[in-house]
Amino acid sequence: MLCELCGKHQATTYSKTIINGEYTEMYLCSECAKAKGIGINNIFSQTATDFSSFLGSFFGGGLPSRTSATRCKSCGSAFTDIARSGKVGCAECYSNFYEELLPSIQKIHGNIQHRGKIPTGASAEVKRKRDIEKTKRELEQAVKEENFELAVKLRDKIKEMEGGGNHDSN
Amino acid sequence: MTATEKWYEKSGEQGDVVISSRIRLARNLKNYPFPHLLSVQQKTEIAMKVKEALEQSNSYIAKEFQFISMSELSAAQTGSLMERHIISPEFANDRKGKYLLLTKDETVSIMINEEDHLRIQVLTEGLSLEKAYETADKIDTLLDNALGFAFHDKLGYLTQCPTNIGTGLRASVMLHLPSLQSSKVVERLKDNLSKIGLTLRGTFGEGTQALGGMYQLSNQVTLGISEETAIENLKSVAMQIIENERSVRSQFCKRTETQDYIMRCLGTLKYAVLMSNQESMKLLSAVRMGINEKLIEEDIAKVTKLMIILQPYTLIKNAEKELSPTQRDLLRAEMLKEALNQ
Ligand SMILES: [Zn+2]
Ligand SMILES: [Zn+2]
Repeated sequence: MLCELCGKHQATTYSKTIINGEYTEMYLCSECAKAKGIGINNIFSQTATDFSSFLGSFFGGGLPSRTSATRCKSCGSAFTDIARSGKVGCAECYSNFYEELLPSIQKIHGNIQHRGKIPTGASAEVKRKRDIEKTKRELEQAVKEENFELAVKLRDKIKEMEGGGNHDSN
Repeated sequence: MTATEKWYEKSGEQGDVVISSRIRLARNLKNYPFPHLLSVQQKTEIAMKVKEALEQSNSYIAKEFQFISMSELSAAQTGSLMERHIISPEFANDRKGKYLLLTKDETVSIMINEEDHLRIQVLTEGLSLEKAYETADKIDTLLDNALGFAFHDKLGYLTQCPTNIGTGLRASVMLHLPSLQSSKVVERLKDNLSKIGLTLRGTFGEGTQALGGMYQLSNQVTLGISEETAIENLKSVAMQIIENERSVRSQFCKRTETQDYIMRCLGTLKYAVLMSNQESMKLLSAVRMGINEKLIEEDIAKVTKLMIILQPYTLIKNAEKELSPTQRDLLRAEMLKEALNQ
């Protein structure tokens, strides 16, 4: 592939930037990359100016009003780190910064609900959660009907189910 | 024909316009941060886990993989992988901690520690997105069972960049569009495509400079759309472009001037002594069109193969020695002569 800026040299650098509020990917040769201030190892480190607009457009002015001290428990990233680098730290970040990320996700995809493949492991987990909910409703009903023998059985079943996804009940 | 024939050595469905189909799935392991926050040691740990997961699966495909540590490759070997579309340009940068699993026929590759932990890629000849997805899906399921991929109820598969979450699927087709390119239709097409969430970019260059009239049509949106629908959409748009290219092409090739141009291109390829990559791409593109329009009798797959193997890094890699630009141009011309004067 040739450099997308000069079209003359072989592209060696891959860059992601915001141009006119649009998130774009570019393949550049080393000369053009250097001219644009994009290093080989950290393509974001020297493009701080580009990324001020990144903050504005990509993350939709959605910088949180809460204290920036909030960090992902799993990888230690703060949301400001993510907004600055354009890189999410880990899978847990998506749960920890869900509200902050949502506006930009909506902007990128025009959608916020996955409709594709579900991994077999995850579908088992979804099913397990659903089963627990169902058993809890049965327990409520049993208590209401003063069927305490059944209620004790259901309570133990829930305990066992909540204990872990690995071992199946019965 | 041998079993290790590469995608660019055979012509597939809609082969007059479609060179290849590609499916790429972005996946991450649950219990590690994304690659930019990993040490080289952690990256290697992940690579070993992936390698092991493949080896311990009973799948027939697992035996086909070669395990490559990217930092041990030469610049030419790395560049050639890029030219053959096996790895991304980003993957060729800073190769420490990056690993590649590649099947012998180069159909399936797994980039480890690119932007995401895993990029599972399947490349097949012609228009064959469903077939390519089927293979990618199998490998994904197999690896997920062993490794456990990061997944969110609402956001789907999680990736370092939010542009890839959801299915993590990038489907693309490589199209040969010499007529749409020279009639400038491509530029208008690009704008319209971006409105429906697709992109069209030069495979070996960009815009009007797209070398050899080769373009890559891909989907952009990955969240809120199923894999099947994304592939279906891409395929139906590709078919429209293919029909368009064909009709312009046949009009175009009826003109004596076009026929003269195409035959001159063939003549230059057959007899030139020095040939740059840029020129050879341009001439081969015209000849490829001439073959499709029955102006030239030649094997179409041979021409596609030449476009791939005559690129600079691949030329050096196959020669197994350093070549100066002039030596490359000399060798390229020789190889063209040999291939086309049979
Ligand atoms: Zn350049
Ligand atoms: Zn995190």
